[in-house]
This record gives sequence, C-alpha cells and structure tokens, in this order.
Amino acid sequence: MTELVELSVEPRAASLVDLLDRLLAAGVVVAGDLTISLAGVDLVTVRLRALITTVRREMYD
Amino acid sequence: VSGTATYLYAITRPMSVDQLSGVRGIGGEQVRALRDGELAVLVSTVSLDEFGEEPLRENLGDLSWLEATAGMHDLAVSTAAKRVTTAPLRMATICLDDDAALGRLRKLARAASTVLARLDNRDEWGVKAYAVATEPAQPVAASARSGTDYLQRRRRQTADRQDQAVAAAEEAAGVYDQLSSMAVAACRHRPQDPQLSGVEEPMLLNAAFLIDRDRVDTFTAAAQQLAAAATSLRFALTGPWPPYSFAIIDEP
Repeated sequence: MTELVELSVEPRAASLVDLLDRLLAAGVVVAGDLTISLAGVDLVTVRLRALITTVRREMYD
Repeated sequence: VSGTATYLYAITRPMSVDQLSGVRGIGGEQVRALRDGELAVLVSTVSLDEFGEEPLRENLGDLSWLEATAGMHDLAVSTAAKRVTTAPLRMATICLDDDAALGRLRKLARAASTVLARLDNRDEWGVKAYAVATEPAQPVAASARSGTDYLQRRRRQTADRQDQAVAAAEEAAGVYDQLSSMAVAACRHRPQDPQLSGVEEPMLLNAAFLIDRDRVDTFTAAAQQLAAAATSLRFALTGPWPPYSFAIIDEP
C-alpha cells in the first residue's frame, strides 16, 4: 500500500499490520474467526489467535 | 490433492478486458472478471496445493506466506479500485471453480449492489495516533531532600503521568470526532499491538475514514492541521486504501 501523505515514518512491519487490520476485518490483536470458504459449501474456521501467536513467535524469536 | 481453485478478490462494477490488462493476483496470475448483469467478481486461478483446506490452514500460520499473499491480494484489489468501484472480499475467499464463484456472486448480488453504490468515487484513508513519550522526569532520588519529600515527588509524578494519559486519550477521541464529521463513514479498528507493529509508543487511535475523492484535499489538510496542533499525540496518515473497512461483504 502506498502512503501518499506521511505525517511520520513508520517501520515496515506497521504497514503489514495496517493491511492485516483491514484484510482480516477484525483487527489483528482480536481473537476472532477467519472464515475460509471452499467449494461454496465447506466452511473452515481458523482461530485468529493461533495465527497471531505464530506471527509473534516468528518476529521476535 | 492437486488441482486448481478460484480465488475471489472483490466484487466490482463490470470491467472490460482492457481495464484488467496487467492486473496480476496471487502467484502473478492474470486477474479475470466473471460478469453477472451489472456486477463482476474478480478472480484468478490458484493451486489447491497452496489453497486447499489443509495447506491453507498451515500457510495462514506462516508469516512470510501471509505477508506475500496479503501483498498480492492488496495489489490486485488496489489496482482494480483505481479503475472501477470495488468492494473487496475478505482475504482467502476461495471457490472450487469459476462456476462456484459466479454462484457466490449471484447470492451476494443484492448486498453487493447496495455496498457499491455507497463506495462510488470514495476511498478509504487511515489515521493512527500514538501517545508521544513525555520528557523524562527529573530523577526523584537525586533531588529529594528527605524520605517524605521523595514520596511526595513520586506521587506527583505518577499523578502527572495519569493526567497525561487521560489528556492524550481525550485528544485522540476529539481528533476522531472531527475527522468523522468530514467523512461519509468512519470506524475505529483495535489499536495495534506494539509487538506486532514495531512501534513502541501506545496507539490511541486506529481509525479508517471513507472519503469522497473530491474532498480528499480538505480531509488530509485537516488531518495535518490536527497533527500540527496536537500536544500529546503523534499521527500517521495512510491512504488511499481500497475501501476494505467499509465493504466487507459477509455471507448472507
């Protein structure tokens, strides 16, 4: 995502989190459900909290 | 399981083949528009080895995969949004094939038409505000004349910090209200976790605004004015974004 107007410089990770805030629709730190639709019938639920735990582990370990 | 599936990016007003030239999606695949009446769904073909139920579940836990996929999803949606009114779908919306994607479009048609009408000629802008670190207080122990004096000064410092936090939160709420009054719609996302964003100052505002394209200059000028006037906050303005925060179409 391009930042046309920047009032302050942000680390690169911040823009990924901005994007995930939006693409995952629930805010990144919230424990919510990301629903994946497959074949229009099966709904698979991924626990967002598990994802965030993994993100944290990979970024800081 | 091998084979392919259809990845859905967004519901849009119909796009011509010309308007779609050069629009690439996941894995660099050409993005196609499947049309039904006055609506289209933007799709590309993905491999079930990557986007099947089980691989997808694993991949979503892989930060580098997530970052790359989010980036490619965003690039396709952003490019489309510059050309026609676009209602983005949630990331990783996958159908077995194009027919199933068209079926999904027909099911969503009514809701999608309403959403698209609200999004015509508008973009999303993001405004984040962080509490600025206040000047480090004079070390209490060094200047304290007595034990009682030390404790009094400590209490005063703690009270000052609490006052500052309250003032900063009020200032952030005021900024949100002022900018909301210039927007077609506004929403507040949860503040980002410093561990995820890499920004240490506490985030007090993580807002998104839907702005008329012909009022963008007024909006960004107002944001910059508020940023210049703020005493306890530092701002970041991002955009234009596709209307992610105002167009998520859920299953009916």
